[in-house]
Amino acid sequence: MKRLLLSLTVVMAMLVVLTSCAKQPTQEMNDSKAAIDAVLAEGGEKYANEEVKSLNDQLTAAMDEIKVQDGKFFKNYDKAKEILAKVKTSADTLKAEIPARKEKAKNDAIAALDAAKTAVNDAKTMLGKAPKGKGTKADIEAMRADVAGLEAALTEAQGMIDSEDYLAATDKANGAKDKAAEVAEMINQAIAKKK
Amino acid sequence: MQIRFIQGIISTFFLVCLCILYGCNTAPVPPEVAIAETQEHELWRSGADIYAPQEYRLYKQSLRNGKDHLIIEESRFKWFRDYESIQNEFRAVLLSGNNLLNNIQELKRVKLTAIASQISFFQGRIDTLKKLTSLINEGRLSRRQLMSAELLLKEVQRLAAKGKYPEAEKKLKLLPVYTASATEAISPVLNRYANKEQIAKWRKWVNETIETSKEKGIYSVFVSKIDRKLVLYKNGVPYRTYSIGLGKNGFHDKLHAGDLATPEGKYYITKKLPRSRYYKALLINYPNDEDRRQFARARKNGLISSRVGIGGLIEIHGGGTGGMTYGCIAMENNHINELYSLVDAGTPVTIVGAIDFDNIISSTIKDL
Repeated sequence: MKRLLLSLTVVMAMLVVLTSCAKQPTQEMNDSKAAIDAVLAEGGEKYANEEVKSLNDQLTAAMDEIKVQDGKFFKNYDKAKEILAKVKTSADTLKAEIPARKEKAKNDAIAALDAAKTAVNDAKTMLGKAPKGKGTKADIEAMRADVAGLEAALTEAQGMIDSEDYLAATDKANGAKDKAAEVAEMINQAIAKKK
Repeated sequence: MQIRFIQGIISTFFLVCLCILYGCNTAPVPPEVAIAETQEHELWRSGADIYAPQEYRLYKQSLRNGKDHLIIEESRFKWFRDYESIQNEFRAVLLSGNNLLNNIQELKRVKLTAIASQISFFQGRIDTLKKLTSLINEGRLSRRQLMSAELLLKEVQRLAAKGKYPEAEKKLKLLPVYTASATEAISPVLNRYANKEQIAKWRKWVNETIETSKEKGIYSVFVSKIDRKLVLYKNGVPYRTYSIGLGKNGFHDKLHAGDLATPEGKYYITKKLPRSRYYKALLINYPNDEDRRQFARARKNGLISSRVGIGGLIEIHGGGTGGMTYGCIAMENNHINELYSLVDAGTPVTIVGAIDFDNIISSTIKDL
């Protein structure tokens, strides 16, 4: 009988251990959230929006898993811990990648602006070669104003780079470059007409 | 022995219980749950929070409710789990998600059409304004503004191509600022060419000039700035028509020295210059009495500095029509040769902006 009671006690003790001792992975939860916040602070929304969404979804999945386990008689947070660990690792990796993405966006913007500057300067040089004084064509005069408009756009693009809005700066610079090429072509046509 | 037997039964019972608790298969989580998660991601990617924030919020709430019910269900012992209601709930979520996705796609299609239409509208307006600025030789502020507008339009096109419609719409809202500024810069010049009273006045001058040619049997000259043409009348009948060039402010009426404008009014040739800086020239009597009155009024009203004179030496000269004059009327050398040989000092010269009410400017600015 004693052995029977002992066996029952052991089984009951095991049940108590299984149902009560598993604790919520609070530390892992906090670490994962902090890791995602760090990604956002690094500019994740701008440079890794899709990945940030995915990380947040995984975090929600982990929280749901925790809630499931919370409601169970036999709690087991291993799966939640696994997801949280994965979220943290992915977030840390992503955070480390963002400066490189930012740098690339910056370099792209600078390269686009340089190309636009060259195109605008080429157009300006061509305007310098165009007939001057009383013989200046009305359209050359108009194109001088066009080039002034392009130069204003370059200044705007530089301002965007300074404020780290690299994607908008690239768009602006690319637009200015395309228009500068169009103006250069028009200058050529005007010079050819004069000849 | 008996006790050992009972112990064995109890142990086996607990072992069986544990096996049942952990080993038995129950109904799996409905596949709709995973599909809904994928759908939510798709909705997010399609910009649901931008295009249909309210509906997306409701959808996410429904999804959340479903997940909460799933959590409750999964928390139960496997024996007691029943996913039927959960499955129905998630089916409803999927249905609303699909509807939302279709609505967003339709909304985006409508937006793209609207943006394309706006791009086309503004491109048309910019082209019109550029045409007008070329016509009136306005190559300063308005052209600069138009270039800024064109660059902005390019950005709008790029954003629309990337599906970034809200950003494209935001930039589109800035475009009227540039086009309005460009319109404002040229409208003082343009409005005169659409003003019926002004055109009637110009027509009267021209008719009087033609009448004089007819009555006196002489040559008379009429210059239409808008048509960029000079018509030589003989006995009241058009005899020759020549193309002409004007200056930077040629479409303005001359008010004072250095304004680069071409005077408008009834003049006559005062002197024939066989060797001018620009080939041959016919000097006219600018300023006439009306010009002097206009100048005095402008000075009195403080529109002209007291140090600025009324100007003079306005000619019809050679040198080609492609040049930019300082207020004179330029012709091709072979044309001035012919005109020079036909007219004499005293020949009437009437310079007007336009004689047709429906001229290129008046008809174009209706669209602005």
